[in-house]
Amino acid sequence: MHDNLDTLAREQLSHVLRDRPDPASLDAAEDLVGSYGLTSLNKVLFLTSLCKEASVSLTHFSEDDLAGMRTLSDVVAALRPHVTEQGEVR
Amino acid sequence: MESVINHIVADVPRHEGELTVAGIGGTRTVPLATIYQQARSVANGLRDQGIRPGDRVGILAGNSLEWALLDLAGLLLKVQTAGFEPDKFAPAADLLDRYDLTVLYADKVPSDERDPRIRPLSDVGDFADTAASLEPVHYRPDETTTVKFTSGSTGVPKGLEATVGSIDSSLNAVQEIFQHDRGDNLLVFLPLALLQQRYWIYSALRWGHDVTITTYQSAFAVMSAVRPTVVMGVPGFFDAARRYLESQVRAGTDASVAATELMGDRIRYLWTGSAPADPATLRFFNDAGLPMYEGYGLNETCIATKNHPRAHRQGSVGKAMPGKEIIIDDDGVVCVRSDYPVNVAYTYAESGASDKIFLPDGVVRTGDRGHLDSDGYLYIHGRSDDVIVLENGKNVLARPIEERFRHTGAVAECVIFCPKQTELVAVVSPHSEGTDAPAIASALDSVNSESEKDERVARVIVASEPFTTGNGLLTSQFKPIRQRIRERYEDALHDPKEGIRARQP
Repeated sequence: MHDNLDTLAREQLSHVLRDRPDPASLDAAEDLVGSYGLTSLNKVLFLTSLCKEASVSLTHFSEDDLAGMRTLSDVVAALRPHVTEQGEVR
Repeated sequence: MESVINHIVADVPRHEGELTVAGIGGTRTVPLATIYQQARSVANGLRDQGIRPGDRVGILAGNSLEWALLDLAGLLLKVQTAGFEPDKFAPAADLLDRYDLTVLYADKVPSDERDPRIRPLSDVGDFADTAASLEPVHYRPDETTTVKFTSGSTGVPKGLEATVGSIDSSLNAVQEIFQHDRGDNLLVFLPLALLQQRYWIYSALRWGHDVTITTYQSAFAVMSAVRPTVVMGVPGFFDAARRYLESQVRAGTDASVAATELMGDRIRYLWTGSAPADPATLRFFNDAGLPMYEGYGLNETCIATKNHPRAHRQGSVGKAMPGKEIIIDDDGVVCVRSDYPVNVAYTYAESGASDKIFLPDGVVRTGDRGHLDSDGYLYIHGRSDDVIVLENGKNVLARPIEERFRHTGAVAECVIFCPKQTELVAVVSPHSEGTDAPAIASALDSVNSESEKDERVARVIVASEPFTTGNGLLTSQFKPIRQRIRERYEDALHDPKEGIRARQP
C-alpha cells in the first residue's frame, strides 16, 4: 500500500509539471517549489488530485499543514496515516 | 436607483441566503440573517471601544468571517473601513498614521507590538456576543464607506475613498445583467481587502443568494465540495486551472467532466477581469461548457464594461455597464464616465496624481488604449505607459508583442522594455516548472517572424525566478508590475551580452 501511495504521488506530481517527466525519475527529497517550480496554485491542484485518487479527505489538513509539505516525501508521509484509515489506495 | 447599501444596513435580511467560509481544514456556514445580527453586535462592540461614526478602522488580514463581520459593522456604524492586503502591508504604527486609522485589526500582530491601536482580529469574535442596540444609519450617494488602495508610482499605495453611489450603481448594474438569485453561490477567494470582493457579500445580503469566502490557496481544494455557481476569478487563476485540466484531458478525461470534477457541477459562469484574459483560456472554458465573461475596470472607475450572457463578444471586454459611458479620446485613450463616480480625487496620493486621471464631470482617463466597435463593445489594446517610442519616432505597443510571446507557451509572462531606444528587450517569467532555454529561443524567433520590423525583440532576459505576488513582481491580481521588473533586471537590460539573442532575420 505504501508503495502504491508513493507511485500515485509521483504520477500526480508528473501530471501537473509542464514537461510530464517520468514519475520514477522524480526525486522525493527535492523541494517542490525550489526544484520542481510548483506555484502555490499548482501545489494545491497536485494535492487535491492526489487526495482524490488516494481517497483521503483534504479536511484532514490545514493550510499550514500544506505549507509544511515541501517535498514529495513530506506529502506521502502526511497522507499515509489517512490512507491506512481509509483502506487501500486505488 | 435603489441604494443597496442603505437596504442592507436597514434591517435583518428576510431571505434564506447563507455565507460559507471554506478552507482546506473545513467549512462553516452561517445564515446571512445571523451574519447581520452578529455584525450589529460587532458594531456595538466597536462603539464600546470608543470608535465613533466618522472614524476609520483598518483591517489587515486574510479572508475570514471576522473580516466580513468587521466590514459590515463599519457600514452599520458609519465607520469607514480600510482593507490592507496581508502580503503588502505590515501592522505598524506608521500605517495607522499614514492613512489616519483610529485602530487597525490584524490577524498577525507581532508579539512585541505595544501600540494599543493595533489589535488582534480575533477580538471581533468576542464582540459578536455583545448585546446589540444601534441607531439606524442612512447614507447619501456622495458619502464614502471605505478606502481602497492602488499602486502608486512612488511605491506608496494611493488611497481612494469609494462613494456609496458608486457601490450601489455597480451592484445594481451587475444584478441587472447577471440576475444572481436564490440557488446561486458566488465563490470569492481574492482578498476581501479589495472592495469588489466584498460586493458579493453585499449582493448576497440584498438579493438572497449564497456566497462562499475562501482563500486563493484553498480555492481549488474546496470548489468541488462548495459547488459554486459563479467563480469570481482573475486570469492567472483560470490559466492555472486550464493547464491542469488540459493535463487531465491528455490523460483521457473529457474536458467538461474534468472541469466539473475540479469546479463542481453547478457552474453557471466564470467571472474574470483585472487583467487581460488569455484567449486560449477563454476558449477552453467556453468549449467545456463553462462560459467565461471578461470585463474591464480600474479601482478609479469600478466595473466599467462586462461581457455577459446577453451581450458577449469574445476578444472584447464587453459593453459599458449601466450607469457607465465609454469615451475614446483623441489620443485613443479609454475614458470612463460614471453617473455615480467612485470619487473625484485620491485622498492619499503624490502631488498631481489625481489631476492626471480624474477629469471633470465624473470622467476618469484610464491610460489604457482601446477602441469601440460599431455595436459598442470595447477592445483594449494596451496601456498608454506601455507605448514605447523608438529612436526613429515610431510608437510600438508593447502589449500585443507580450501577448504573442505568452501564446507561444514557452513562458508564463513577458514584459517588453526598450532600454536604449533602439532595440526591444523582453524580460520573461519562466514557467513554474523551470526554464526551457531552447524553447524560449525558438519562441523568440517565432514571435519575431510574426512582427513588423520595429516590433522585433532583440534579446530575452529569462528572470531568475517566476514573477509572483510573493516576490513583488505581480500585483495581487496577477498583473506584472512593469516598474519593479525593470528595476530588478536593470543591469541585464542594459548589458547587450545578457540573455538570449534573436537570430538575424
